[in-house]
Amino acid sequence: MNPELDQDLSLLNLVLHASVPVQLVMALLLVASLMSWWFIFIKLFALKRAQRLTDSFEREFWGGGDISAMYQRVAAERDSAGEMARIFEAGFREFMKLRRQAGQNVNVIMDGTRRAMRATFQRELDSLESHLSFLATVGSVSPYVGLFGTVWGIMIAFMGLSSVAQATLAQVAPGIAEALIATAMGLFAAIPAVVGYNRYTHDIDRLANRMESFMEEFSNILQRQITTK
Amino acid sequence: MNLPVDAPFAPRPATNFAAGALAVGVHALFLLLLVVGVSWQTQHPAPVMVDVWESLPQLQKPQPVPAVQSPPPQPKAAKPPQPVKVEPPPKPALKEAAPKPPDIALEKKKAEAEKLKQLKAMQAAEDKALADAARAEADAMKKARDRELAEQKKRDLLRQMEEEELMQRMIDEDAAREARVAKDAEARAAAGRRQAELAGMVGEYRNQISAKVRGNTRLPENLQGSPEVRCAVRLLPTGEVQSVKITRSSGNPAYDDAVVRAIQKSSPLPLPADRDARAAFVPELSFVHRPKE
Repeated sequence: MNPELDQDLSLLNLVLHASVPVQLVMALLLVASLMSWWFIFIKLFALKRAQRLTDSFEREFWGGGDISAMYQRVAAERDSAGEMARIFEAGFREFMKLRRQAGQNVNVIMDGTRRAMRATFQRELDSLESHLSFLATVGSVSPYVGLFGTVWGIMIAFMGLSSVAQATLAQVAPGIAEALIATAMGLFAAIPAVVGYNRYTHDIDRLANRMESFMEEFSNILQRQITTK
Repeated sequence: MNLPVDAPFAPRPATNFAAGALAVGVHALFLLLLVVGVSWQTQHPAPVMVDVWESLPQLQKPQPVPAVQSPPPQPKAAKPPQPVKVEPPPKPALKEAAPKPPDIALEKKKAEAEKLKQLKAMQAAEDKALADAARAEADAMKKARDRELAEQKKRDLLRQMEEEELMQRMIDEDAAREARVAKDAEARAAAGRRQAELAGMVGEYRNQISAKVRGNTRLPENLQGSPEVRCAVRLLPTGEVQSVKITRSSGNPAYDDAVVRAIQKSSPLPLPADRDARAAFVPELSFVHRPKE
């Protein structure tokens, strides 16, 4: 009469016996969770690398070396030089070009240099911030998706109850358990995504601040070079 | 206008694969924690039937009751009376007569000496006779005592053998009785378990039938309280209802009819798969219905 009575509530059974919409929700959440963890690790590695390269570039830059020698070296290995080095390289190249063409007009040279550096800065920032919006989406939406699966599963469990004359807890319990797995999966996907999103936006903000200050300081150095000549 | 050759671009670090592997690893770890850490099984305890015993049958083999050792006969303790002490031979009370004044006549002296000698001889003979008698008496007593002792020993030995035999028989009987009792208890426990199982199954299905019928019952408007209806329901082995007969009416014909209709509507009734448990339902089930529990 009630085959659910002695059913064993193993995790696999719960997932396999869930109704199709709940299973779809679970699959969606599993994919979202996998993707968000993937991006979390990608961003972790990328940001660690960016910080390390920025540190080493700043140390080299303020260590007082020859600027054109440094430019040569950075231009030769631009791919692995880091974000700040690329900003420096773009600015210095534009500066050299403009100086050759525009002669001594300080404003023209400095404006062009600044624009070139800002463009590179925007591009670097964009590449650093990629995937973060995915993390934000997973973090805010997946609890709702999980909740939807749960509500659907509980609805089905109670519909099944209506055909039975005597309602016992044993008849609804498996349905509710399998429905609640969807909420658990939603939370499992959302929590790391939110934590990762907050952490990485903070890290990227700090990196962007460092780059902007560097741009201003480098512009000052270049302007001084023009005016002293 | 030419596009600059050296357009800046941001290379993507080639760590995507490692990141993907790590992501999968995190999920595998979490799944492992769920499977291992949470116990998903719920065990339903099997019905237990308890027999109440007035006195527990001894389960372990009884220690052989320390044989009541009859106190070993102690012939030594029952020491026969010491051989009668032979009275010391009466001291010749002639001492005072011995020292005679030296000035007495020789004959007299001689006669006296003679007399003394005679007396002494007599005394010795008497002593000897007395000692002999005493010795003979002691010997006889000793012999008697030995005989008695030997007899006693024999009796004791016999008794001891008898007792041992009795003990052995008692132990054997005890063991046999216990084995019998244990076997009985086991058989009774097995029967009891089966009985309890059957009773549980019958009760469960009775409840299910009641629930099904109750769910199909349309109670008449004028029903008051929770009157009881008894029906005899003839069932096919499949649970199909053949006929319903009211054996005890509730006094409310509309309600009786409603119950009969409900039972017919509930066909087929749920029946246990177990043949023995089904015997309580097929071919005829006496069914008690109350509208509310």
